[in-house]
Amino acid sequence: MEPIEIGLWVTGGLLAMVVLGMRVAFAAGLAGLIGLIWIFWAKFGYDPARFGKALTVSVKIAGQVPHSKVSSQALSLIPTFILIGYLAYYAGLTRALFTAAKRWIAWLPGGLAVSTVFATAGFAAVSGASVATSAVFARIAIPEMLDIGYNKRFAAGVVAAGGTLASLIPPSAILVIYAIIVEQDVGKLLLAGFIPGAFSAVIYGLLIVGIAVIFKSVGPPVKGFTWGERFAALPGALPIILVVVIIICFVYNPFGGDAWGTPTEGGAIGAFIVFLYALKEGMKWTELKSALLETAKLTVMIFTIIWGVLIYVRFLGFADLPGAFSDWITSLEMSPMVILICILLAYAVLGMFMDAIGMLLLTLPVVYPAVMALNGGESVAAADSAFGMSGTMCAIWFGILVVKMAEFCLITPPIGLNCFVVAGVRPDLSVQDVFRGVMPFFVADAVTIALLVAFPGIVLYLPSLAG
Amino acid sequence: MAAGAAVLEDGSLISRLDRGLLKAERLLALLSGIAVFSLMILAVVSVGGRNAMNAPLPGYVDWIEQIMPLIAFMGIAYVQREGGHIRMDIFIGALRGRALWLFELVSVVLILLLILALVWGSWAHFQRSFDFAAPLWSRDSSIDIGLPIWPAKLLAPVAFAVLALRLVLQIWGYGRAFVLGLEAPVAVPLVQSAAEQAAAEADQLAGHDSSTGDNSTGGQG
Repeated sequence: MEPIEIGLWVTGGLLAMVVLGMRVAFAAGLAGLIGLIWIFWAKFGYDPARFGKALTVSVKIAGQVPHSKVSSQALSLIPTFILIGYLAYYAGLTRALFTAAKRWIAWLPGGLAVSTVFATAGFAAVSGASVATSAVFARIAIPEMLDIGYNKRFAAGVVAAGGTLASLIPPSAILVIYAIIVEQDVGKLLLAGFIPGAFSAVIYGLLIVGIAVIFKSVGPPVKGFTWGERFAALPGALPIILVVVIIICFVYNPFGGDAWGTPTEGGAIGAFIVFLYALKEGMKWTELKSALLETAKLTVMIFTIIWGVLIYVRFLGFADLPGAFSDWITSLEMSPMVILICILLAYAVLGMFMDAIGMLLLTLPVVYPAVMALNGGESVAAADSAFGMSGTMCAIWFGILVVKMAEFCLITPPIGLNCFVVAGVRPDLSVQDVFRGVMPFFVADAVTIALLVAFPGIVLYLPSLAG
Repeated sequence: MAAGAAVLEDGSLISRLDRGLLKAERLLALLSGIAVFSLMILAVVSVGGRNAMNAPLPGYVDWIEQIMPLIAFMGIAYVQREGGHIRMDIFIGALRGRALWLFELVSVVLILLLILALVWGSWAHFQRSFDFAAPLWSRDSSIDIGLPIWPAKLLAPVAFAVLALRLVLQIWGYGRAFVLGLEAPVAVPLVQSAAEQAAAEADQLAGHDSSTGDNSTGGQG
């Protein structure tokens, strides 16, 4: 049997294991190991006497993947970002952020909802947990909105949608994972996420103001905060803003000159700031301990998938499946843009059933080379490319699009997870209520994604400045 | 974030073994968490040294590369115990009773096969760099300050061996549930919907946050 056929069989087996509920990390590792054994044994002509040899070689190849792949400086960003998130929980930043946002911007039409979106976006960005953030703000923000007469579906929709702004604004663990899998510059991807993330938040904000102006009953403004109160609320929100600014400055210095350091250092300094703030807020050892334990848990989960998938990728290299898939994609009689949009839509569907990290890690080893081939190859110049951008820029642009897609799935009917979570936290709301409330944001997101596809400059402006 | 909420416990042998192993697993996971914390301190010292005293920390990158396996592997059995490794549960979440335990059982057996192979493979990887006769027992070392690499390589087979123990326990647990047709077996993670998990996290956080009023710059009590 040809290696490519073995590749297809093993990949089919992997998909079956994943769909039947096997842990993704181990399914990928096992598929990779079996694939390696198969390929080597096939090379030996399926000679039963040499099966042991094929097995030993494969096990040794697979066995060095975990250590050699995780010992990297770039990957150390992931635990650091996760630590920021869990420390932020214990620093009591959720309510502080909401209070600050409320005092500064609740005077707008629909102001409380706008405040909620920004507070949710800010906290989600730093905590990196879209779903949990929505659950928390469902408790903090929805009651306040209902108190001043907000429509309850609308209030729920705001919270569910706000949580999805997490994964583009730095610090973003998922962008780090993407960068590592596709072997691109981590710093540039983090930088690239900032404008689309902030852009999405602003679009949400404008949408709420628009709705509140047209339907007077939807969200009355909240007035009467003094400037003294406003400034008093700032220190609570400061750590979050600092974390975002520091990480950006460690990648790219907006004031000209060299960046302040590496992304790894920026992440660590950010974590340290939140840690100091949490200490000031009276974090105890037991709380620090559970923050560390939770950090370890999430980190291990992500790293296990990373090395599991990399064992599978090792096998894919032998089977040359990505090459074959790229050849097939580029041979299609369709415009590259149409194919790209189909790929993004496929992610939208897949994202409904699967966690974003698992989905990206499983699919990117095959899909990413195909997208690069569509654009004209890794090292293509902007002038000769299909999407009008160099290979590196295309990698960044595609990464942002895919991650935005994965977040979009969180509010997509029929199984957008954030909506279920908000409904689960609020017994007075049904899932249908939340889906109805989130609809305007769903439309706004679709428009945002279309804009990011049509005007890649929104994504690529900052990374191109960083050279 | 409520740890262990999804694993039931009672006084039976398997449950006692489960909790005994859990203690070791939690310790290893905490070690990994402390390693993350030290990563942070290391970077702060490095940046501080570079900017304040113009003296960067020697071997900063070498140390990171040594710490990473500690972070990446040590908690792996703990996460398996809590049922925390990512999976797609749309199919398996719909199953009940024996059918559910059968699928869980098969998947855990497959994982055990993989992990046993990886204990072997990662041990071989360790052995290639370890040598009693060499200086620091090491045949290879890190680029900048020459740290021996074998301790970091040893972490993988050690963590995988603990995971193998956990998997054997889970095979026993699911097998028992399958044979006896149990509704809610002990010592194995039960399927929780993502909404339940998120609600549990929010509960814990709300509990933490409730001591803070509108102006939450105050202490947490």
